[in-house]
Formats: sequence, structure tokens, C-alpha cells
Amino acid sequence: MKGFIGEFEELVLLTIASLAEDAYGVAIKESIEKRADRSISIGALHSTITRLEEKGYLKSWLGEPTQERGGRRKRYFEVTHQGKIELHNMKALRDELWKLSKATLSLAK
Amino acid sequence: MKHSIKPPRLADRIFTWYCDTTMEDLHGDLEELFYHDLEYMSVRRAKLKYWQRVASLLFSYAVKKRKQKAAHHHYAFTSFHPAMLKNYFLIGIRSLSKHRFFTIVNVLGLAVGMSISLLLIAFMSFLWRYDTFHVNKDRMYRVISVVTDKQRTDPLATAPVAVAQKLGEEYTGIEEVIRINSTLTAEASYKDKEIPLEGYYVDSNFLQVFTFPLLKGNIATVLSKPNSIILTEAAASKMFNTEDPIGKVITMGEQDFEITGILKNIPKNSHMQFEVLASYQTLLQSTKFNSAQSTDSWVDFRKSYIYLLLPAYHNTDAIEAYLNKVSAPIYAKEKNLSATFELQALNDIAPGRDLRYSIGPAWDYASLSIFIFLTILILLPACFNYANISISRALKRMKEIGLRKVMGGQRDQIFLQFIMETVIITMIALVFAYYIFTLVRSEFLSMLADRVGMDLSTDFYTIAYFILFALFVGLVAGIIPALYFARLTPIQALKTKPVSKGFSRISFRKFLIVSQFALSLGFIMGVVVVLNQYRHSLNHDFGFDQENILDVELQSANPQILRNEFAKLVSVQSISMSSHIAGTGASESIWLKDLHVTDSTEVYQMFVDERYISNLNLSLLAGNNFTEDIAQNKKHAIVNEEFLKTFGIKDPAHAIGQSYVLPGGDEITVSGVVKNFHYMPLRYPIKSFFFRYDSSRFQYANIKMITTDVFTSITEMESAWKMIAGEEKFTAQFFDDEIKETYAFYFVMVKMCGFLGLLAITISCLGLLGMVVFTVENRVKEVGVRKVMGASTTSIIVILSKDFMKLMSIAALIAIPLAYLFFDQVFVRMQYYHVPVGILEIVISLSLMFLLGLATIFSQTIRAARANPVDTLKCE
Repeated sequence: MKGFIGEFEELVLLTIASLAEDAYGVAIKESIEKRADRSISIGALHSTITRLEEKGYLKSWLGEPTQERGGRRKRYFEVTHQGKIELHNMKALRDELWKLSKATLSLAK
Repeated sequence: MKHSIKPPRLADRIFTWYCDTTMEDLHGDLEELFYHDLEYMSVRRAKLKYWQRVASLLFSYAVKKRKQKAAHHHYAFTSFHPAMLKNYFLIGIRSLSKHRFFTIVNVLGLAVGMSISLLLIAFMSFLWRYDTFHVNKDRMYRVISVVTDKQRTDPLATAPVAVAQKLGEEYTGIEEVIRINSTLTAEASYKDKEIPLEGYYVDSNFLQVFTFPLLKGNIATVLSKPNSIILTEAAASKMFNTEDPIGKVITMGEQDFEITGILKNIPKNSHMQFEVLASYQTLLQSTKFNSAQSTDSWVDFRKSYIYLLLPAYHNTDAIEAYLNKVSAPIYAKEKNLSATFELQALNDIAPGRDLRYSIGPAWDYASLSIFIFLTILILLPACFNYANISISRALKRMKEIGLRKVMGGQRDQIFLQFIMETVIITMIALVFAYYIFTLVRSEFLSMLADRVGMDLSTDFYTIAYFILFALFVGLVAGIIPALYFARLTPIQALKTKPVSKGFSRISFRKFLIVSQFALSLGFIMGVVVVLNQYRHSLNHDFGFDQENILDVELQSANPQILRNEFAKLVSVQSISMSSHIAGTGASESIWLKDLHVTDSTEVYQMFVDERYISNLNLSLLAGNNFTEDIAQNKKHAIVNEEFLKTFGIKDPAHAIGQSYVLPGGDEITVSGVVKNFHYMPLRYPIKSFFFRYDSSRFQYANIKMITTDVFTSITEMESAWKMIAGEEKFTAQFFDDEIKETYAFYFVMVKMCGFLGLLAITISCLGLLGMVVFTVENRVKEVGVRKVMGASTTSIIVILSKDFMKLMSIAALIAIPLAYLFFDQVFVRMQYYHVPVGILEIVISLSLMFLLGLATIFSQTIRAARANPVDTLKCE
């Protein structure tokens, strides 16, 4: 089955990919908020991340203790191979649909 | 980096408490975001945002999932497996049968506590089914009125007939209007049989609206003609045995009725209870009912009920508004009274609001809530007892729980195990409670005022409710110990370090014992106080003689003939006549006017003849008694001392010859003054009162007897009565018995208080017993050492019992002032001439409580103190 992930999940996955080495909770949240211009709650974000982890699209590890977070460690995320396949699938599906609906979606009047 | 501003502490705490340490990354995210926010936000907003984020995380899937992962071993079950349930059940049974003594204490305590709840459940489950058999029940309403007169505002179950007229003729959108008049209650006679029957006059559409099935007769016509009547099956068989009643003519209240149908017996869960129904036409045509006046009357609220059947889509507000609009101008003209109307749905009648003049059993909410309150008052201590005993015995189960936890037992599983154990106990207790329930059921029924409309026999539903209830009790009683055990950490449990020793830890237990004994003391005092009040009421000097006076109901007999006939009997000393029986029921009152003053005063009155005063040994202070001259007597009155006070006359002699105006305009002259006596029960104060003379008002013959053989003299009277009154039944009662009966309600109270007190004290003593046994068991070694060191048995008993006696004393200290205030200030004041609560009652109640409590304590401590130290110490 293609397109197993939801819109927000896709957004999170892509953002994590875009952040590369620096993908942890706050950074992901701020990146999405800035780019997509919408405010998201931390609870919703972590829930989605947890789901993606369960589906096997993400993996995570704890970083070194940091000063600014009261000595607490960050959890970093990375897209797994399976996650990448899923993103490709999603994109392929989209591209195909875009190609098919080129005429109707044209913005020219 | 150091920050002077910190995230809100409470939110932080909540988060760490809820999420443990496994979620430091999330916590770090929270903190980082907080300091981000601080750069461009006020501190307050940032803190608010922090709170929001904590909340959003706490309820998020992320945290939930992570918690589950952290808590569970990979191979742990997350669901409850049937095999585990079976195991819990088995272990439960085993541990119950191993600790037999505590099982018995627990079962007994819960059974006693639950027994009264079973009464309540049977009672309520029957109430829920009230009036449910009517097919149209959702569309049926009753018009009720709220009447305001000079003195007060009262909600009544009745409504004047004119309302029916208005709704039936002028309002569209009501399917049926039914008038019911409840005056049809009289002796019904057929040939030589006479039976009192209760019933109503109803409109002919009654049976079409109410679902009371007809066995014989045509539903459309049985009640359409005047003088037609239908009987219930039971009433018909009482009257006619096996004869076919249809077409027979019976006489009720000087009117002949033809029987046109037979009804199935009225179910007990009906708020109307009747034996006969007569057509409303009869009432309209009858002489005693002046139809022209009564059907238009907006002020006659007595005995007249109006029921409505509305269409499927109805608007009760519109009908109420209409009624109040139409009636407003009518009541505006009335000086003394006004009324508004409401519609009451059939389902709200019983149980329902407390209305006056209710047509049948009503079960108002107020008394129901008292019942519920009392039930909870008894049940809760029983539940807490269980919790108390279970926790205090935790030590014995510690190893088991520790092992379960180490083997992967989850919190919820341990919780379930102990809840299950409790449920087993409550189920056993239910059996005993049911037994107690069957014992007290009939007694309870006989205490109810409306016992016709109550059935406490158990059917499938009630049994189902009972079982549900036992489950519920199991949950309530078991939740505290279950939570306690589930919370233990394996290390705590396996180390079996003593969690509590006797009373040292939980003051909750002390509180429990204190409050239970305080409650029991309250009930015991209730019994003692009420008994004392009863005794006082009977021994009180009423101001007249009660002994050897037989009150005979005159019925239709002529007072003069009766006097002549009865005077011939040897056993009769003197005979007087009266309209009421002094000191028993309510007296009637009229409004009397002074000749010169326009205001009228309420005066109680009683009609007696010239022999009454001497017969009852009342003392005349001034003036004369009534004379032989009947015409003269009618203008005279004999007043009491209170009367003089009210009208401002100082000397009794001055009152003689004073005249007053009766409501009709007639004048009445005082001819004598009698010493104050209790013409009404002691509940009411003595007010202005006078005797008048009117032979047509006489209801009773008061016969003073001089005999030792009561039985023969009454038989003589009966045969004399046969000659005077023929068919009517000779009804007579001794005066002192009637007085006693007036205070019989105290007896009901004693029974109730006694029963509740018995339950409360049983539960308290069982709870105490459990605690004492536990403490003694734990201190066996200590006792042994003390004995070896030379302590005497007495001193050991004192040491062991001291704590408990202290608690009971505290209970007494709390309960006595409260109970004293309640009984002295509230309860006994219900009666105007009461005896205050004295030291004696308090002492009696106290000693009773201490007797029972100490017996409980000593039964255990003495045994422990006498034990041979060799036995207790040899295993160390």
C-alpha cells in the first residue's frame, strides 16, 4: 500500500530529514512552525514522532547532556531506510497525480 | 547557563511525578522552549505556555506509550488472563478460609451493614416501577395547585373542578380530561352484608386513559350512566363470594348503585389505590353535591383531582400558562386565597414532591432522602471496617504480594486480586444480609404509613439489583486495601518491614472507631430518650380521669335513648356525651369575636353534655355547669383558664356572664370556668378552649364503669346496643387505651432507633473486635516478656485495653453534646409538654455503650494476658 503516512507525519519526516544532524524536539517544532506558518503543540508533535517510530520510519538516540536544558539530554531523530522509501512512495504518488492533473491545476487564466 | 527565572515549579513537579525519569528529553524540550519564549514574551505568558505544554504532553500518545514501555517487561501480559482470574479466586478462597476468624468478623459486619441497604434497594426498585403499567404513561399529567391562603402556601395534589371544565371546553389540544372525586368511601351494603369500601367517582373516560383492565363489562359504557359502579375482583369476592355481581344493586352512602363491571385488582405499584369506581354522573346528580356551585368552583380544592391525557406532541408549559392566565382574574376577586396551577407528569407523582391531599401512596422525596442517608450511615462504617481490618493485617500478605510483583505482577493485577477477594466476601455477606432482610421486612412494612402501595417481595430484578449492589460494596470496601497493596514496591513487600503497628500510623482508624461509637451512642440515646418521652406522656397529668371510662361511638344511635338503655346496666356508673375524645386527635376550632372588638380569636371547642365535667373529674373554678335545660344550654359556654388569659380577664368569677359572638352571628355567654386540661395531645400547647352544648354534635358516649369484670359488662352493653342501633357495629374503646394509642408513634420510633442502633453497635463492636484481636496478636511477644518480668495479669489487661478505652471515651465526649443538642433542642421539642433530656438518659446510654465495647475489648485482652509466657516465647 502506498501513502501509509498522513500529511502531518510526512511533514515531520521531511523536516527531520532537512534538519539532518540537528533534528531534536524543539528544533523540529520551530522549523515546522516557521516554514508551514502554523503553531503546533509539543504533545501533538511528540505523539506523531512516537507513532512514526513505531512504524519504523524513524530511529532515535539520546545525545550528550546539555547545559542549557538543565543538564538534560536531547533526543535526536533520523529517518530510517524504510522511512525514506515511504517518503519516495509518497512523492511518486503525488508526482503522478500532478502530472495527470496538469491542465486542470494550471493557475493561468 | 544560569537563569533567574525558572519554569513554574508545580507544573514541573507534576511532569516529573507523572513521567518518571525516562522522559528527560521531553522535559528538556519543555525547558528549552520556555527560555525561548522568555526572550519575546512576558514571564507570565511564558509560564502559562509552559503549563499548556505540560498538559498537552501529559495527555499525549507519546507519554502514554513511553510509560507503557517503561513499565512493562517485554513478555508481560497487558490484558487479564482468565487463568489469572481463576488463580485470584482460588487464592482468595484459601486465604479467607485460613483466617477464619477475620473472615467471620468481616462477613458479619458487612452483612449487618448491607441488610438495611437491601431494604432500601427492594424499596427503591419497587418505587421505580410505580405507575409504569399505564400504556399512556408518557402522555398523562395531573393538574396540581399551589394554594396561598392567609397562613401559608401549600402545594396540593388536588385542583378545583372548574379547572377541568375550562380545559375540557375551552382549550384545544388535550385529548382527555378526567375528573376524579375521592369522596366515595363508605360502608357498602348488599342484603345483610356490610363492608367498608374505598373508591372514587370518575369520568366515563377513566378506563380508556388509565390502564386498569376490566374483567367483565364494556369499557366504553361501564361508567357512562349515573349510579353505575364497578368493583375490583377482590372487593367483589368480599361482597358476593361466588355470586355473579354484574347487575346487582349495592347501597353506598345512602345511594344505590348498579354494578356494571369488574376490574382486575389494582396493582400495588399504583399511586391510586381503590376498590370501587362510580360514575361521575352520580355525583353530579346527587343531593349532597350541589352541582351548580361545585362544578364552577375555583376555591374548593378538597378531594377533587384532575388528570389529563395529552397528544403525543404536547406542550405542558402552554397549558400551565393558559390555566394561570384564566384563573388569575378569578382569584384576584377572592380575598382569602389564591392559587396557581402546574402539570405534574404521571411518572413524577410517586416518588415525587411532597403534596398535601395526595390521592394515594406518594413517597415524597424528603423522607426518601432520610432513608437513603440512614442507609449510608450504616453501610459506610461497615465498609470502612473491612478496609481497616484488611490493611491492619497487611503484614500477613506482604510476602505473597512481593513475590507476585517480582514475577511480573502489574499494579492493576494486584489491585484486581484484592478487589476480587473483597467481592467474594461481600457475596457471602449478601447471603446473610438477605436473611436479615427477610427477618425485618414485614416489621419494616408495618412501620410504613402507606403500606398498601408497597411490596418488598423479591423478584428477578431485585435479586439482580442485590447482586449488583454486593459487587458495588465489594468495590467500595475493597478499594482502599487494594490500592494500598497495589502500591507496595517489591522491596518493601519482601523485606516485610512492619508497615504499621497498632495505632501508631494511621489516625484514620482511630477516627473510624471514634465515629462509629459516636454514631452508636447517638442511636442508643435515641431509644432511651424516646422511651422516656413515651413514659412521660402516659404518666403526664392530663387534668382529667382516664381510668374505667369506655368511649362508645354513637354512630346513628340517639344519645338520649342510649343513655336510658345503658343507665339500666349495673356496671355503668354515669354516662356523658361528647363530640371529641379529649387528649387524642385534633380538636376543631372556630373564630370567636369579642362583643366590642372587631378582631376574632381562634378558640378550640368541644360539644359535651352536663355530665361530662363530673364524669372526667374536671374541676370547675367558677360559675355553673350546663343544666338540664337544653334550650338554655345552647347559649352557654364553659371556658378554660387560657381563654380568660387570651381575653384579658383576671378573675374567673368576672368571666361569668361575658358574651361573645360566634362566626354565625349568634351570641354565647360564659356560664362557667374550668381548670386547664389537655383537650389535645401533649404535642400541642393548651390554648383558648370552651365547651358548648349541642346534642346533634355528640359522637361519643363516655361511660364510666364500676366493675371488675370488664368482659361481662361489655357483653351486656353489646346486647343493649343491639336493641338501640340494630345493625350497626358496637365500637367501643377504653379511654386510657385511646390515649396510649395517640403516642404509639413513639413506639415506631423506638423500634426504628433500636434496629438502627443494633446495626450500628454491632458493626462498631465487630470493627473494634477486629482491631483488638490484631493488636493483641501483634503484641503477644511483648506480653510474654512483660509477664516473665513480673507484670500482673491486671496490669497487662490495662496496657492492652488502654488505647481502645481512650478512643471510646473520645467517642462519648463527641457524641454526648451533639446527641444532647439534637434530642433536647430538636427532637423532644416536637412535643410541647415534653420532658427534657436528663443526666439519667445520658448515663444509661453511656453505660450501655461502654458495657458492649468493654466486653468486646476484654474478651480478647484477658485471654492474651492470661496466656502462659512459655507458649508465646518458646519459639523465639
